[in-house]
Amino acid sequence: MRELRFHRDVYAGEQVDAALKLYERFGTLSTTEEGEHFVVRIESKNAARERRLAGELANYALGLTIRTRGAS
Amino acid sequence: MAYPEPPISMKQSNDLPKDAASFRGVPDVLAHADLTESSAELLLDSALYSLEAVYGASFTFIDRCFVFLDKTPEGQFRVTLAAKKPGATQEQLRDFVGEFSNELLACAWREKITAQNRGAIEAVTMQALAGAMGPPSLDDLEDFDFSEEPFEDPLGIAMSWEEKYGKDKAKRKEGEPSEGDDEAAAASAKDGA
Repeated sequence: MRELRFHRDVYAGEQVDAALKLYERFGTLSTTEEGEHFVVRIESKNAARERRLAGELANYALGLTIRTRGAS
Repeated sequence: MAYPEPPISMKQSNDLPKDAASFRGVPDVLAHADLTESSAELLLDSALYSLEAVYGASFTFIDRCFVFLDKTPEGQFRVTLAAKKPGATQEQLRDFVGEFSNELLACAWREKITAQNRGAIEAVTMQALAGAMGPPSLDDLEDFDFSEEPFEDPLGIAMSWEEKYGKDKAKRKEGEPSEGDDEAAAASAKDGA
C-alpha cells in the first residue's frame, strides 16, 4: 500500500477529487483528511503498479491545480 | 557562549530515509536521493521561492518525472521528483535536481520581472484593446467631456494661438493695449519699413 499526502495549501481539493475519479479504476483508492492534508491510500496488484498509479495520480492532481489557479 | 538559532534550511532533519544518498556539493537536508524509490527530494525555503514559482518549475517536469509537492510545518516546500521508470541512477537523479533548481530560479525571476512591469504591461494591453475596438461612435463623442484638461501644463507652453496672440476683448474695452496688440503693431511697423 502507498500513501499520498496532498497538502491543502498546495493542492486544490476539487482537483484531487477529479484525479481520484479518473484513476479509481486502476486500483483501490481510499481517502481521509488529516489536519492540513488530504490523505489518499493506494492499493493495486503489485508494488510497481502502485508506484505508477501514485505518480500518475499526483501529476494529474498537480496539473489540474496549476491550471485552475492560472485561470482564476 | 550561546550560538544563534540556525536558519530553517540548515536545521537537521530527522525524517531522512535510511538509504538516502547525498548529492556531491549539496547538503543532505536540502536535497537527497532515495535510490530504492528512484526519487530525489528537495527542500525549498518559501522565503526565497513563491508557490507560483514552484508550480511553474514543477509543471515543466510533469512529462519527465512524477512530481509531488508538500509543505513542511516550518513552511518549506518539499519537492519529490521520481523517475517514471524505476532504476534511476544517482547521476540521473542529480540531473533532475539540478535542472529543477535552474528552472525554479528562472520561474522566480520571471515572476519578479512580471510584477515589476505589471503597470507597463497593463497600459500597453489597454491601448491595444482600445485600438482594436475601432473609432468612437457619434454617441460616444457626444458623451465625451471635452472640457477636461488633456494633460498637465505647469510651464504654460501648451497655449492655443488665440490665447497667446488673440485680441483680449476685456482689455480693449478698457483702452489698454494687450500683448497681442503690441505684437501686431510691431509686425505692421516691420512691414512698413
